[in-house]
Amino acid sequence: EPVLSKGNDCLDAAKACNLNDTCKRFRSAYITPCTSSTSNEICNKRKCHKALRLFFDKVPPKYSYGMLFCSCRDVACTERRRQTIVPVCSYEDREKPNCLNLQVTCKKRYVCRSRLADFFTNCQPEPRSVSSCLKENYAHCLLAYSGLIGTVMTPNYIDSNSLSVAPWCDCSNSGNNIEECMKFLNFFQDNICLKNAIQAFGNGTDVNVW
Amino acid sequence: KGRRNQKGKNRGCVLTEVHLNVTDLDLGYETKEELIFRYCSGSCDAAETTYDKILKNLTRKKKLVTDKVRQACCRPTAFDDDLSFLDDNLVYHILKKHSAKRCGCV
Repeated sequence: EPVLSKGNDCLDAAKACNLNDTCKRFRSAYITPCTSSTSNEICNKRKCHKALRLFFDKVPPKYSYGMLFCSCRDVACTERRRQTIVPVCSYEDREKPNCLNLQVTCKKRYVCRSRLADFFTNCQPEPRSVSSCLKENYAHCLLAYSGLIGTVMTPNYIDSNSLSVAPWCDCSNSGNNIEECMKFLNFFQDNICLKNAIQAFGNGTDVNVW
Repeated sequence: KGRRNQKGKNRGCVLTEVHLNVTDLDLGYETKEELIFRYCSGSCDAAETTYDKILKNLTRKKKLVTDKVRQACCRPTAFDDDLSFLDDNLVYHILKKHSAKRCGCV
């Protein structure tokens, strides 16, 4: 497999961002709180989340999605893509909560509750449709997905060789709710609608929508 | 005040930009990211203040103890926004006050 034949799309997206004044400004505006350690924490997660929400709210998708949904052929690229949201601060935590408990926390907060509802609506898979999405609209699915970044439900890529994503939670200690929990987690991890939407953006095959 | 260079006497002092690799800055970072670097250049010959005028006159008449009196320099009066980038080891860095936003003879 040719490793060097094609450039790194995620690197190109980062370059494009820093050459655009708006993207550059809002990128630094979240990198700063997301990488500044406080006296006893790795960072101020609340400030990092807030700045990430601002980044996705204010920066044109061409740039913000460019970095988040870039298509990759090697690990250097996928690792860069995974680092886009500064996961050590915005994503990872000391403990992984149960996904259903995390969902309860999310539903207590207005922004998280509404964005999670948007995500379930707009990224609903439908294997029989052409796009694999019930709503047949990749742009709406990506908007809903990126809207979760900066909430307690912040998702990220879970490994470097697929487009599988998940929030920071798992289904251990689910008891009788194991099926419900797996259904929730798989909506992120194994969602053909979301995967196709990310792939279409990365390949530029759905250009007219942006 | 920063716009003085465009209207006033020191039209020579202007903001110029150049597209560079972060490694071109020689700050010790290993990354493939890039940036727009903006800098101030041009002459500040035309005296701007009475102070500058007096200095010039006194220098000409050799009335100053030392000749090393500096004329106005074309320098940034404001800096560009911060720049962030990810290095080859997946560590983020932020550059502050690295690039000019406005220039003036100061």
